[in-house]
Amino acid sequence: MNISMNELKAALRRCFEASHYFVGNYEDAANMILWLEKHGLKGLAELERLLPYITDDTDKLLSSVLYEDSSSAIIDSHGRSALNCIAASVDLAHAKALISGIATVTVHHCHNRMFILKALTDRGRCGISIAAYWQNGSHTVTEHAAAIRAGARYPSYSEALTNLSASTDLKQTLTIICSSRVDLTASLQLSKGNRNARHMSAEEVAENKANSVEHGIEIEPELWQRINQIGTGILVENNDQSRQGAGGR
Amino acid sequence: MTTAATIQNSMRGNNALPLRPANQVMNLERLGSFHQSRLSFMRTLVRRIMRERWQIEPTRFDLDDDGYGTVVYEVQAPNGLFSFVLFSHYLALENRNDRVIATQWDLTMALVEGPVDQLYLERLKQNVPLQEAGRVDPRVFVLSRANRSARIFDYVVDQLARGAQPDVEQISKVGYLYRTTAVYGSGKLGMADWEKVSTKHKDFSRPFASEMFVCWMLRNFSFLQAEHIARHKSPDTFQAMQPELKRHFGIGNSTGLGMAPFLVNHPMLISNWIEMRELALARIRVLGGINGRVKETLTTLIDRCAQHTRDTATDDESQTEKNLQVVVDLNAMQTYVATSFDTWDGLIAWSEQHCSLQGQEMLVSIMLEIYPELVDDLEDFHSVDEILDLDPIMPLEQLKEVIETRYNWALATDFSADGARETCWYRSEEKMEPRLGNSADEEAKHKQMAMGVGYAVSKCYDQLCAYLTLNPDHNTARFMVARPKMRGIVRRIQSMNRCIYGDIQANLLDRNVLPIHLLRCKLAFFGVGKFDPRSRLWVRNTMFQGAPLLEDIGKAFEDDWFMPVAPEQSGNCS
Repeated sequence: MNISMNELKAALRRCFEASHYFVGNYEDAANMILWLEKHGLKGLAELERLLPYITDDTDKLLSSVLYEDSSSAIIDSHGRSALNCIAASVDLAHAKALISGIATVTVHHCHNRMFILKALTDRGRCGISIAAYWQNGSHTVTEHAAAIRAGARYPSYSEALTNLSASTDLKQTLTIICSSRVDLTASLQLSKGNRNARHMSAEEVAENKANSVEHGIEIEPELWQRINQIGTGILVENNDQSRQGAGGR
Repeated sequence: MTTAATIQNSMRGNNALPLRPANQVMNLERLGSFHQSRLSFMRTLVRRIMRERWQIEPTRFDLDDDGYGTVVYEVQAPNGLFSFVLFSHYLALENRNDRVIATQWDLTMALVEGPVDQLYLERLKQNVPLQEAGRVDPRVFVLSRANRSARIFDYVVDQLARGAQPDVEQISKVGYLYRTTAVYGSGKLGMADWEKVSTKHKDFSRPFASEMFVCWMLRNFSFLQAEHIARHKSPDTFQAMQPELKRHFGIGNSTGLGMAPFLVNHPMLISNWIEMRELALARIRVLGGINGRVKETLTTLIDRCAQHTRDTATDDESQTEKNLQVVVDLNAMQTYVATSFDTWDGLIAWSEQHCSLQGQEMLVSIMLEIYPELVDDLEDFHSVDEILDLDPIMPLEQLKEVIETRYNWALATDFSADGARETCWYRSEEKMEPRLGNSADEEAKHKQMAMGVGYAVSKCYDQLCAYLTLNPDHNTARFMVARPKMRGIVRRIQSMNRCIYGDIQANLLDRNVLPIHLLRCKLAFFGVGKFDPRSRLWVRNTMFQGAPLLEDIGKAFEDDWFMPVAPEQSGNCS
């Protein structure tokens, strides 16, 4: 079925609000998913994978800084979804880059790292260049890179299947590089063993967005229903007392 | 030529004009005292239609003798062709309900890009009459419905059928043949997103322009339909309605709580609307020359506003008192103008000492009316990219200062006082309708919307001060990693600090909060009149009263329908 971007954003906000994301984070989460989907980067598929765990982060520790100096930091996200923690790590990289010229932030134990693209784009718009790299998968390892130039509106994105074996150290790890002095570009090397490589340029990302703006978003009815069903958690039962507080007759 | 840069230059820095301060303007009661002005969206839309001479014709007119059926208007605007599609249905009196929870209406409507063929019309017919229960596609960008006025529609038809005109007093009393009960846009129910409308359809790229257009077209259709029914009822005696009587009809509107969260959720947009209005006022204070013609226009407008206010019927005791006071204010203003008026600053200072808030804000609207050359070019600057950006590099000491400066009203509120957090705003499972509850209701409290900006700022400030003591050198980004729950409010504080006016300065959780002020503020920007509060939660009003008609396009246009008053009765109405 076809839905508008605004409908998807509103439904996702309700969905994450009902899943105990706090104010500020449920908007971020909705925007991150919508951003990927409207730019042709399969945000809804990523969402579908995380839905079974959507409330799990409620009981997890908040992100903590393990190490920090003027140009780098290591953050442990304690197994949280990038939806509710990665934007803060990106902002920290931005702040450190403004001080040091270039900065690196490594984030450990973070799921759904693909959602970082919206946060990278926000920083690019604010006039700083930023790139991210991560690997994913327990059996077959994929690698991913995204980057945006300072002042640009759209990032580029690359992914590939590798023949690497899964490393415990790199699992759920993501590296952010940010610079106020250097325009960073990130595309995966033609590494030996890489296959099914895909590169999406900033221009292609922009074209995908134009298509979504014109035609809206395609979504499976079952997924749409699930999102909305979770979102009903923020609605209050309708009764006589409740009707007293309604703005009507 | 006015550009975004010249506007910024007028509001900030050494060359800034004397804007009224935020703590005066953003007071909730004052916002709830605003009136329509020539920057209101209805006015700017009509100006555009009339000046650009849009061509609007019914291309399909399939109404039966009782006025039921389908009508399609084609709208040729400078940048595109659009279709306005109406479905008129029989509706039993007992099924007529204006609440958002209704499921049937007299009329349902859609505004669509491009021409509509038979196949597409059938698709619309399957969905538009269902409203929230239907789905449309991104060619549609406004969906709406309306109900007839039970008080006057049949009376008007009967009068026209027997060759008489409706009585002006009756028209003034009710004000409309139809009232809208919802106007949806911005991507709801599968429609085009605002991002598409604002970038692709330049004719409707100003805020709420397409929604206002649908209401204006509804008004035009209401005359077409009433005359059509009357003509078929008695072809031999039928007389068309006189144009001046038609112009005195508006479109009825009821607005409830649903509009209130919009103002809190779109703070940059609201601040921007207010900036344009205040900039217009500041321009007049500095650049508005005063001569005999200006004094004469001012006197005429004061009289007109007093008459318009006297004509406003409301059962609400508080609004009646306010209207009476506005009339007293305007009479006193007339005396001041006749004896002591020589500068706008002087008149404003006088009004602030002697007039009610509604009287003061009436003066602002009157002043805007006198100087189109200083005001009208601001109409193209009401849109804004609503992005609340975090400033990660801002030192925490500076963030603290920002809160102390821009949110001193929130820090001055004692949120532990009795009743200070008694109200909660939540969404009902009934069509997700926003409602007001008491925080003693655990479910409502637990599921409340984030409407308490002042309280959130106050909590953030406390946490910030504690954190700052331990980490005096940290910046905002570092604070956000340590206190991620503060992310939303910090981002809002920093973003609103970049605006001139910022957030609405009120504790919306207070036991005595009056949501009606929020509704009225937004409705004033829309341009409605005849405010008739039905409770503290909803208000009746009239849209487009006095506005030009469809058949006025292409004729002389004076853009002078501010605060309209009743015309003289010239035809037979007995």
